[in-house]
Amino acid sequence: MRWVWIALGAVFLAYPWVLAGPFYERMGALVLLAAISGSAWNLLGGYAGQASVGHAIFYGAGAYLPLLVFTQWGLPPIAGLPAGIAVSVLIALVIGIPTFRLLGHYFTMATVAVAELVRLVVSNWDLLGAAVGLSGPAVSRGWWDLSFRSSIPYYYIFLAVLAVVLLVTWQMERSRMGFYLRAIKAGDRAARSLGVPVRRYKLYALMLSAAFTSVAGSLYALMVGFVDPDSGLGILISIEMLIIAALGGAGTLFGPLLGAVILIPLQNATNSWFGGSGSGATYVIYGGIIMLIARYQPGGLMNAWHALQERRHRRAAAVEPRHAA
Amino acid sequence: MVIVQVITGGLLLGAVYALFSSGLTLIWGMMNVVNFAHGDFVMIGMYVAFLIYTYLNGGPIEFVLASAVVLFVLGVWSYTGLVRHVMSGTLLSQMLATFGLALVLRYATFWIFSSNFRSLPEDLIGGTLNLGGILISMPKLVAGVVAIALTLGLHGLLTRTAIGSQLLAVSEDRNAAMLMGIRPDRMQALAWGLAGAGTGIAGALIATFYYISPSVGETLALVAFVVVALGGFGSVPGALIAGLLIGVIQELSAYLLGPVYKDVVVYALFVAVLWIRPQGLFGKF
Amino acid sequence: MLLEARQVTKSFGAFTAVADVDLGVAAGEMIGLIGPNGAGKSTFFNCLTGDYAPSAGTIRFDDHDVTNAPPERHARLGIGRTYQVPATFEDMTVLENVMVGAFLRHPHRGEARDAALAVIELTEMTEQRHLRARTLGTPGRKRLEIARAMATQPRLLLLDEALAGLTPAEIQRAMDLVRKIHATGVTLVIVEHIMEVILTLAERIVVFNQGKVIAQGKPDDVVRNEQVIEAYLGRRKAHRR
Repeated sequence: MRWVWIALGAVFLAYPWVLAGPFYERMGALVLLAAISGSAWNLLGGYAGQASVGHAIFYGAGAYLPLLVFTQWGLPPIAGLPAGIAVSVLIALVIGIPTFRLLGHYFTMATVAVAELVRLVVSNWDLLGAAVGLSGPAVSRGWWDLSFRSSIPYYYIFLAVLAVVLLVTWQMERSRMGFYLRAIKAGDRAARSLGVPVRRYKLYALMLSAAFTSVAGSLYALMVGFVDPDSGLGILISIEMLIIAALGGAGTLFGPLLGAVILIPLQNATNSWFGGSGSGATYVIYGGIIMLIARYQPGGLMNAWHALQERRHRRAAAVEPRHAA
Repeated sequence: MVIVQVITGGLLLGAVYALFSSGLTLIWGMMNVVNFAHGDFVMIGMYVAFLIYTYLNGGPIEFVLASAVVLFVLGVWSYTGLVRHVMSGTLLSQMLATFGLALVLRYATFWIFSSNFRSLPEDLIGGTLNLGGILISMPKLVAGVVAIALTLGLHGLLTRTAIGSQLLAVSEDRNAAMLMGIRPDRMQALAWGLAGAGTGIAGALIATFYYISPSVGETLALVAFVVVALGGFGSVPGALIAGLLIGVIQELSAYLLGPVYKDVVVYALFVAVLWIRPQGLFGKF
Repeated sequence: MLLEARQVTKSFGAFTAVADVDLGVAAGEMIGLIGPNGAGKSTFFNCLTGDYAPSAGTIRFDDHDVTNAPPERHARLGIGRTYQVPATFEDMTVLENVMVGAFLRHPHRGEARDAALAVIELTEMTEQRHLRARTLGTPGRKRLEIARAMATQPRLLLLDEALAGLTPAEIQRAMDLVRKIHATGVTLVIVEHIMEVILTLAERIVVFNQGKVIAQGKPDDVVRNEQVIEAYLGRRKAHRR
């Protein structure tokens, strides 16, 4: 495991030097951002199997609050990051407490509905800029505004945050919580019979997932310096997180990173191939990809790889001499 | 007087909601699968109506039928080509499958027709009916009446006919049904087809008085979720009552609070239902 | 009494699946619950595990009222169970499955792993510990369920048809395991369909029919009970005598 971390770290640290230029630097930063939000979604949707299609709420809370503290009080946007986390965790509790009493689909539907409700409310809320949105500082007032022209500082900030998210996920995966979440995903009822407090652990996962998603939203707002209801709260934000995790491998540590490395450049490419209406083509491709994953490889790419290794493992086990039963 | 008119309008709109929500509730109740592409099925129905009218000069009867046929086929294919293969999988893969389908339908439409709002001419079906001071637009009246008739017809089909009892047998116990000589796969494909056809008709009907755009399915899907959650999963009569209720609530809140709140109130109601009575007002479990 | 069920009733709508059942289980006993299909033994069993809340009556375990307690509290208090249709965590390995159980008493990963390995040793699954549950056959998955429940360190283990669907050789092996677990001091309640097996295994038999307990006692006495023969073995046999 250690060499995987070192190799990945080296590749991502070196990337801006290998592929230089504003286009690649920005794309690199966006890949990392997508990996952060995808990994955040993965904590709940991947490990615990509770698929949310409303994570844009947390992303949006994270994106709006930094720009709100700036427009309201002239504070540096980063000051809004903890507030974004707090709001996100609160919303997570409001959604999670009632719906986790119920089975699967309810939670998914509730997330869709609450996200849409929040988007509609924000679109009409003047304090949050209504349909126009909020902007950050036009001119940086100092380093504390974290407003840079180049994408490179953002790239490294995002890389550091991604490292934290992955380390936390890794630790969780190995701990009791990771085992409990996977057990919940595999079977609620059996998990409870083994003493797993199912609702409580789903809530933990949702809260942690919401907090990290909110951080991703704040980072986005810091880099772009602007958010409106579509870019902060649109349903496509939630869908992108879900696809990135599912493509790479829901419930695997590096799955979302792999998904982001594939999808974000692909999205860039389709947008430039198809021009203005290209976003249509992009999402047709997205849709096609997730249908194919669901149909042929529900575990995503990482799990396909694991399955391959497993087969080798089993073949090796079959060769070993068997003890008498 | 205006209030009565608003409520009447709400009931008629609600009847159409009930019709397309019955498809969702049927599939959900029968095989515990949520079709996240359901709203986009409605949207496709609307575009079929629009295309038949614009390019083939078809009238309401033609495009309603055409939409029913197209959506029946789409429904059957969705099951045999996609959903059937993910039924035994995890909740996530079931969800991904229909979600992927939704994206493809929505954005292929967007790609082909752009995001421009379209509509059918208002005078396509008569004008306005004056019932002692209450003005009812004819398209809504026709749509509402046809929708109620079809929803009741679907209920009748499920409860009174041999096909209906076979469908229910499959949903109760797949294996037992198989032993009785029913082919579960075929029945489930039929259920998807029926749900699709009903949804297609609803889409064509609603197109006569509603804007048409690629993203309209998103809004309508949420309406259908609310109706199904409120009416109880798998209950067609529940969907009818809940649909009418939602239609009235929506029109009333648009009238009393302003058009912006039309959807806000509905989603808030949905969240409230999940909080207070998650099994739905008429739910069994 | 380790477990005491008093006048437990469970109805589903108008249908009463279990009516007024009393059962006491002393520490160290091995009890078999038998009865024809639909006799209510599985429903009663699920009341004992907390999966169903009884419609009436009380259930006490070790001086705690567990009548309406959820399954996770049962596990915490020391009641383990298995399922008629194995509900193993298919994508997790044998070791990981057992570790889920072990985490109940050992919050730390290393200790949980050691505890799980000990249970795996006891249940003779050491060779398969790195295989995913989905790759095991029915006997393996039933064994894994027992291992997983044992990892929660139960004082009372409830087995739901742990022997159904096994071949005679596999039944023999499973019975050896059950005896081994009993020998470690765990109290056992076994729901079983195959009467021959349970008669040789259990010390006391409780016979269900139509939601009621119609007889209980030593295996030898129970098989001679007229009512039991009538209900359980069917009229055919009773008439033939």
